[in-house]
Amino acid sequence: MLELAIGIILGGCALGAGCAMIAGIGPGIGEGNAVAKACEAIGRQPESKGAVTTTMLMGCAVAETTGLYALVIAILLIFLAPGRFVNILLNAIR
Amino acid sequence: MKKIDPAVKRETIYVTSCVVILSLIMQAVFLIIGKWDYTVLLGNLLSGGVAVLNFFLMGLTVQSAVELEEKEARNRMKTSMSLRMVLLVITAALGVGLPCFSIITSLVPLFFVRIAVAVRPLFNKYIEADGGK
Repeated sequence: MLELAIGIILGGCALGAGCAMIAGIGPGIGEGNAVAKACEAIGRQPESKGAVTTTMLMGCAVAETTGLYALVIAILLIFLAPGRFVNILLNAIR
Repeated sequence: MKKIDPAVKRETIYVTSCVVILSLIMQAVFLIIGKWDYTVLLGNLLSGGVAVLNFFLMGLTVQSAVELEEKEARNRMKTSMSLRMVLLVITAALGVGLPCFSIITSLVPLFFVRIAVAVRPLFNKYIEADGGK
């Protein structure tokens, strides 16, 4: 029974980490769209290249943070959470 | 070797400065609360370095992507994002997995770039007054 409980904990953590990393897809698509539109803008007004690049860099950095949040949650769920949850379970049994 | 765009160079310098300042503040906080040891410093160095490298690589990709066709630029950005995410995963896994790195200081500096971008409007008027240098 204890093995089953530990297995469920580990499986739940792995599943949670996988679900969290779904958020990593969004920034990739968002950044791609931003750069595509920037290409369009620069094609229309080549003299605004510097300003567009600066604004886009900042926008991409903001967009990427969403992926970073997901990454940190996933890493914590894989490396830290299982040990903590198993300890809680073992303490509860004792 | 391709020349680095002045905008990318300027933004990377700005982000690096912000990451260094915020790292120093974090080290000071750890010193004040009495939890400072070498793992805190090592974790901060690893994570802060990778955060700046990630931003610089993103800048280089943006620089090359704006010269391409729309569809090609989109694909290049997606590929770059995936590769940089792998770099961040490896960094975070090393920071959390290895005992020589503190977990908190291995993860927190990854968000310093976001803080640097958030406070950017405060510095904008000084940068514009300086002619964008």
